[in-house]
Amino acid sequence: MSAPLGAYEGIVGPAVLRQLRQLGEKLSGTRVVHVNSTREGGGVAEILEWMTPIMRELGLDASWEVIDGNPRFFEITKAIHNGLQGANVAIPVKGWKTFEDVNARNFKRLRPILEEADIVFIHDPQPAHLLRLCERRKGKWIWRAHIDISRPFRPVWKVLRSMVEGYDASIFSMAQFAQPLPHPQFLVPPSIDPLSGKNRDLSHAEIEAVRSEYGLDPSRPLLVQISRFDRFKDPVGVVAAYRMVRKVAPVQLVLAGGGATDDPEGKAVLEDVLEAAGNDPDIHVLLLPPDSHKTVNALQRMATIILQKSTREGFGLTVTEGMWKGKPVIGGDVGGIRLQVVNHHTGFLVNTPEGAAHRIRYLLHHQEGLDRMGATAREFVRENYLLTRHIREYLTLMLVTLRDTQANVVNV
Amino acid sequence: MTPFEVKDCALLARMSGLPPAFNLRELRERIAVCGENVLFHHFCETTLRGTFDNPDYRNDFAVWSKLYLGDRVLAERLGILDPYAFPSLGELRAATLEVIDEQLGESTMIPWARTGDELFFVEATMVVFDTGMRISHPRELAASIGSMTGGSVYFHFLEARRRPPFGKDDFTAWLLGNDAGEKNRPYIEALSRIDFYFHTLPHLRKELIKVLSALEDTK
Repeated sequence: MSAPLGAYEGIVGPAVLRQLRQLGEKLSGTRVVHVNSTREGGGVAEILEWMTPIMRELGLDASWEVIDGNPRFFEITKAIHNGLQGANVAIPVKGWKTFEDVNARNFKRLRPILEEADIVFIHDPQPAHLLRLCERRKGKWIWRAHIDISRPFRPVWKVLRSMVEGYDASIFSMAQFAQPLPHPQFLVPPSIDPLSGKNRDLSHAEIEAVRSEYGLDPSRPLLVQISRFDRFKDPVGVVAAYRMVRKVAPVQLVLAGGGATDDPEGKAVLEDVLEAAGNDPDIHVLLLPPDSHKTVNALQRMATIILQKSTREGFGLTVTEGMWKGKPVIGGDVGGIRLQVVNHHTGFLVNTPEGAAHRIRYLLHHQEGLDRMGATAREFVRENYLLTRHIREYLTLMLVTLRDTQANVVNV
Repeated sequence: MTPFEVKDCALLARMSGLPPAFNLRELRERIAVCGENVLFHHFCETTLRGTFDNPDYRNDFAVWSKLYLGDRVLAERLGILDPYAFPSLGELRAATLEVIDEQLGESTMIPWARTGDELFFVEATMVVFDTGMRISHPRELAASIGSMTGGSVYFHFLEARRRPPFGKDDFTAWLLGNDAGEKNRPYIEALSRIDFYFHTLPHLRKELIKVLSALEDTK
């Protein structure tokens, strides 16, 4: 459960909350429906879990609906997801038929609420077909793409595009992730919840308990990368960088993530990482269950430097989370990491294990710079990447969508 | 004295519909035809936009020229353009194109950016609303600004210069409109001395509070 809005006052200040309440008043009673395909797990469910109750607290009549699907449906939507991110996937005609049929079955159940809503947010491709089915809709429909679709596999995008171009507007996280569409494309970056299990302040005892559980030495520098065991996160490259640094500094490395058990590719990557780590007692490869929020939080807080050496990345919220803990980040020069990591300011962008090793050594030699970058990073997150900014942009988007999506200024 | 009505604003960015620019010639072509709202966004609304950077330059064209075209000379020439010093966005556009044309004329090759480093042209809609807060005397200004959002500071001190009376911030316009016997002159002069364009919003707010509080301290 998310915290009530008032709980954020100590973090963002009263003016920010007052602004949200005033925007909320302008939308009081507006019927808003979010639709996605899962209640638990994944970034979208995490966002909706806090966004829906906060919208209600602000006076909107907000609800969150989840479409049901059979395993075949989710195999197809996984293929669509991969195709949108550029993978060459073959989705047969009957696969698209299953996709539409599952949407139709869900529409029967959701019909009254979707027809009456003032604003419907459809998150990601899974429920995208609902728009075509809702012929008697009264409100505005907005498609929210949470993933990078800048270089999609064209046959997949061609079919999906035909479904989403009828929406009144769409939302992308960054301009770099968008595709041309015949309606306004708004830009709303994601955010983190500073009071969630992954980001809330931890007591010294809580942090020390995790340190002790994994046998980490408090007297030596600690490098931490939190991410799925995925080749695009380059965990083997991180081990290579660690080895270069280890020759001259007594660092420890934690590579922690989840999601390998049901993912054949993830399992193979994990095996490669374990092989690269060998029997080095200072490399800790942790396969964590999905609810290990406190462990991840503690690892980030005890880190000296956060790494996110991805070779391909979406927005990269683990970078934002690391920065919120006041740590400089050494990140791959890709995707949203490039927006967040600014050389000498909030960390360093690197392209190779050698580059990562060089910057790790640089930071270990410049403790003052390390502390300053960490503090700067935290303040940037506070200003721009907490959920209060995210909810403000959704409220603004609703006000604009209900009035005039092409206006330069909307007075409310 | 007529009370000052404190407003607030929230920005929502959207794609402009223009294709991205991969090189300096395309940057020139896009700037020549883009809407004024696009120009205003890349020069002025950068202050209100979420960013992790505290860049050397306050406009996106200068930042892009430096980081992705690798043209530091162009970045310096674009970076010094103060959009609020131009009477209109049309004149700002002309000045920007002049700088780019000069650079194109001097270049033996067109600087270009890698795929992924292209410049996307964005514009924004600003939603404006009344906060209900009122300021009834200049001596309350500093404290009131201290409790405003960044959106209010942006709307009254920066964006105001785009509205009539053109070139004036809302605080100055209010002080001038209620200045029997020139009692407000010290406030107006203090506000006019702020070199605002190069501040981030949090710094601008601090600077406003500092100069206005200093006036009260000297009384």
